[in-house]
Amino acid sequence: MNQIERFKAMVEMRFFDEACLEGVPTMEIHGELHTGIGQEAISAGLLGHLKNSDALVSTHRNHYHALIKGVNPYRLMSEIFEKKTGICQGFGGHMHPFSLKQNFSATGIVGQSLPVALGYAYAFKMRKGDSLAIGVIGDGAANHGTFHETLNIAGAWKLPLLVLVENNGYGISVPISKVLATETIAERAKSYSAWGKCVNGDDPDIVSEAVEEAVDHIRSNQGPAILEAVCNRFRGHYEGDTDHYRSKTEKHNMLKGDPINTYSEKLLSLKVLTENEIQNIVQTSKQKMFGLLKRVRGEKMPLPETALNYIFCEKTDG
Amino acid sequence: MANNDKIERNLNGSEAIAEAIFQEMQQDDNTILIGEDVGKCGGVFGASRNCFSEFGENRVRDMPISEMTFTGMGVGMAMSGLRPIIEIMFADFLGVCLEQIYNAIGKIHYMSGGTVKMPIVVKTAAGNIGSAAQHSQCLWGTLAHLPGLKIVVPSSLYDHKGLMASAIRSNDPVIFFEHKELLLKRARSFLSNPIVPKKTYTVPIGKAVKPRIGSDITLVTLSYSVELALESAAEVAKEGIDVEIIDLRSLVPLDIETVLQSVRKTQRLLVVDEDYQSFGVSGEIITRVVENIEPTSLKQIKRHAVPDVPIPAALSLEQVVVPNYESIKNMLIMMAKGS
Ligand SMILES: Cc1ncc(C[n+]2csc(CCOP(=O)(O)OP(=O)(O)O)c2C)c(N)n1
Ligand SMILES: [Mg+2]
Repeated sequence: MNQIERFKAMVEMRFFDEACLEGVPTMEIHGELHTGIGQEAISAGLLGHLKNSDALVSTHRNHYHALIKGVNPYRLMSEIFEKKTGICQGFGGHMHPFSLKQNFSATGIVGQSLPVALGYAYAFKMRKGDSLAIGVIGDGAANHGTFHETLNIAGAWKLPLLVLVENNGYGISVPISKVLATETIAERAKSYSAWGKCVNGDDPDIVSEAVEEAVDHIRSNQGPAILEAVCNRFRGHYEGDTDHYRSKTEKHNMLKGDPINTYSEKLLSLKVLTENEIQNIVQTSKQKMFGLLKRVRGEKMPLPETALNYIFCEKTDG
Repeated sequence: MANNDKIERNLNGSEAIAEAIFQEMQQDDNTILIGEDVGKCGGVFGASRNCFSEFGENRVRDMPISEMTFTGMGVGMAMSGLRPIIEIMFADFLGVCLEQIYNAIGKIHYMSGGTVKMPIVVKTAAGNIGSAAQHSQCLWGTLAHLPGLKIVVPSSLYDHKGLMASAIRSNDPVIFFEHKELLLKRARSFLSNPIVPKKTYTVPIGKAVKPRIGSDITLVTLSYSVELALESAAEVAKEGIDVEIIDLRSLVPLDIETVLQSVRKTQRLLVVDEDYQSFGVSGEIITRVVENIEPTSLKQIKRHAVPDVPIPAALSLEQVVVPNYESIKNMLIMMAKGS
């Protein structure tokens, strides 16, 4: 997978979430939305390393992971906008999209992605394929008991599991440095006989290289891996969060390091892309995502009389 | 009803709670507050604002996202003589620390033969504000099922402060269910008692209150549904239907006497509950009523709750499963017609 593809992916993800933001003030999305804005380089770094049969279990901040895993952006955005055309017909919403076809799912409960990913990893090993499972978590979730329990099991049984930690420095308002016993999360790897690395999550090339190493390790049957990618959450924790716990200077400095700008400058100086080509990618992506938004907005909501449809899959009325 | 324009302090539910916590912490150095984002941020709903700067990190501690462990810590803290207030951000997350709640906090006084006390408040935000299946649950019925836990569910702004103060002073464990909608709602738009005195006061746990007196139908409810019920009752009053509303305030202890008195008078009972319907609050209230009042002197019994379905994401679906102003009004009209 080349750098141009990575750059395109980053730009598309950014515009995908910016398009979603349009639905917040209008109440088209009526829960609290979590965007990945600022964290695009991590998902872009996964490009080319995953097979369709691999599983990915994500969090409340899941849009980019879904897109990278191949979930149809139109159907994903429809779900976020609570439409009948959504991948879950509007029943799940933005915090819990499910796509069996892509082996993709997510959870709104912090820390609960890892045990589910572990279940996939167990099944993959049992069936002797070379698929692997990725459990994505944030830095905050790394302090949940599930982290320890999951990695212990994966390490003991050499299960094909990649724990991808998107370390954006915060769990809502709490700086991770205040609640973490070690310098990094990845250094816990040795406790679980796992591969572990902490990398700069703002550069998709660096992430990609690390993902390749981790995936090789896992696919060659050597057990689980922890990849920690350090990044920034540009917006409040959710749309509506006033973000008053971070100082103006902190936010200002953070925004100066926008990974999309940094990467486009890198590709310019490497002569991988020209200024014109970059502008083209930006314009095309923007049109594509805001085009999706327009279509999604025209879709219908699920019919009220279907509200009790999926409680069970079998008939329960006697 | 107060003239809402004259309300001097236009507090919201979270400010009323925060004031209770602040004042109780001032009065007892052993009272401490732990939870996610309760420190500098002052709680994601603001229910611990000002506490961190006043009492410092040792007494107001931002926890890592480790609910199982910090709820268990509350047990050890209580045994060592502290009085912990534990914030579990959303009721939906009670699942990850339920072990410590129902096997330790709710049982230790009993298992210890009455020697060990558990003066713990687990406070949590419940209720639907449009956040789909994993962030909208009430779950007070689930917790009320478990022995040894007092279950407090405030509705009026006045009660938010007074019941929280009582919960903190209680030597028994209290699960305190706030409602997100009420945490954010301001005094001037409250229909039930919106006046919050500045001085400390308590509201006794276990006494229901009647925010509306009426003679035709008894509507028993709790939490945010009290506000909805008041709105619906005002509307149907225009059609001559006179509803009496009972705000339970707590499920354990349950003030069934107040309910019975009212039902004896109206002979009609409607229980409205934002929690799941089956095996829960509405079933319990109705059972106690029929256990105590001759069925022949009851004309109608109805309930209106979430029909045993996860809360859907789409607004179009949510509106038909969560009791709302319109649906409560329709129930009342239907009952009045059926008499
Ligand atoms: C068990 C549980 N506790 C608390 C929450 C509320 N909550 C949602 S996201 C979040 C912070 C998560 O931080 P992190 O894992 O770093 O992910 P980020 O939001 O930074 O991407 C919290 C506390 C939750 N959803 N589930
Ligand atoms: Mg984080």
